[in-house]
Amino acid sequence: MPSRNDLQQYYETEAQLAPTIHQHQDWPYEISHRRFQAYMAPPHDVGGEADAPVRYEEKEEELWELNTYVTCEVLGWRGIWNAEERRRRGNNDLGLSLYYGFPYYGRWIWAAARMLVDKNHISLTELLEKVAEVRARHGKH
Amino acid sequence: MQQPHDHDHGDHGHEHDHGHDHGHDHRAAPMVEEITDFEVLEIAVRELAIEKGLFTAEDHRVFTEWAEQIGPAAGSRLVAKAWVDPAFKARVLSDAVAACAEIGVDWKEPTGSGTPSDYMNLRVLEDTPTLHHVIVCTLCSCYPRPLLGHSPYWYRSPNYRRRLVRWPRQVLTEFGLNLPSNVEIRVEDSNQKCRFMVLPLRPAGTDGWTEQRLAEIVTRDVMIGVALPRADRKSDDVRPVHKARRPVEHAGQPVAAAQ
Amino acid sequence: MENTKATGVPARFNVGDRVRVKELPNLFYTRTQMFVRGVSGTIAERTYEDLIPEDDAWNRDSAQPEQFYIVRFRQKDLWEDYPFEGDTLQSEFPDRWLEPISD
Repeated sequence: MPSRNDLQQYYETEAQLAPTIHQHQDWPYEISHRRFQAYMAPPHDVGGEADAPVRYEEKEEELWELNTYVTCEVLGWRGIWNAEERRRRGNNDLGLSLYYGFPYYGRWIWAAARMLVDKNHISLTELLEKVAEVRARHGKH
Repeated sequence: MQQPHDHDHGDHGHEHDHGHDHGHDHRAAPMVEEITDFEVLEIAVRELAIEKGLFTAEDHRVFTEWAEQIGPAAGSRLVAKAWVDPAFKARVLSDAVAACAEIGVDWKEPTGSGTPSDYMNLRVLEDTPTLHHVIVCTLCSCYPRPLLGHSPYWYRSPNYRRRLVRWPRQVLTEFGLNLPSNVEIRVEDSNQKCRFMVLPLRPAGTDGWTEQRLAEIVTRDVMIGVALPRADRKSDDVRPVHKARRPVEHAGQPVAAAQ
Repeated sequence: MENTKATGVPARFNVGDRVRVKELPNLFYTRTQMFVRGVSGTIAERTYEDLIPEDDAWNRDSAQPEQFYIVRFRQKDLWEDYPFEGDTLQSEFPDRWLEPISD
């Protein structure tokens, strides 16, 4: 088994990852095993990481959040994906920046959109055009 | 037929009003000027899925109707009945999904074979004077929706998920629950396809109470395991409520955040 | 939704058996948390048979379902600085993520 010290270092390294905004060249050409492990950590696996006490809040649900939940579930009901695919795409495939940058149901709806394109249920341009059309219908941005 | 919830674009305010009002005050928060990116994406995905025949508007409506009526009251009824009826409690502990039918919760709803995400593997964890259970899903937010409704916001937060498995006593203390060290704390990390809720000990001062009266003190937090039931408390501790900008509404009223 | 798939890999463990969570590298997806890897615990319950998440998450319906178990760990085995002797943690794993031990 990994020593508890190794595990501690894994957590400390992984917890320090932040999105890289800009890098002048594509280097270094190698990274340490510790760094590789940290990059490969599934973003959802946070149990045991240190964090400070916070105020635990309640939250009212937005309409789009309920609709997102229902859309994702109905896509499952009709066999378009299963819950494990949803959990993978929604909580892991989007990467650390989006995982921590998006709200909870923002991850879900991004994952649903990506899945529909990946599985060829819709084309990307169909999605782009629909997004633009919905935006035009409901007000400019 | 009622369409899936859609948005009007009338009164809006400014972006990022956090509305950290304390208590359960459900006045609408100031509205934002523009429809947000997530609102746009949600409408786009839903409309495309319907246009492509992946599901129907009726499917969405049926599931929405179900999703709007689930809540912790069902779990409260289950606990109260288990407290007064030992035979029912035995059935709860041996086959919780089947026992749910006796308090009016059918885990096969709303599709005929359950929801895609909640599965049909409920386990009810019985507390004893020397054992206290508390539930988390470190990987996402697995939660027994048919029995407890939608999970609270803090339950989904990385903070709760990070800390509960390693510092459970500290986290419980922050929820106002201090347990002596001779009580074993058992954290249940709900990481796969079982779903869990806590069956707490019946508190003192409730002798002779009816099931209905008992159910009133079994709050959501009690069934997650971050609080204990008390004869003198019918709601969870008051926490700040993060206001929705365009909340889900029933009969013109925003849906309460907690109960 | 479907939890009752055809019987697949034979279940190796029973309630009370001592097991250790396997150490495998992380790539792309898993539901076996890092903090349990290589740690020993006790089978608390045999739950159901299903696809493992690493197959289910890619919709590999032709994969073999296998037995899942709830495993109970001592908190002191998970976190060496954990201060309370009797506290425990339970979590769930498919058969192939567990290996038998005899300590």
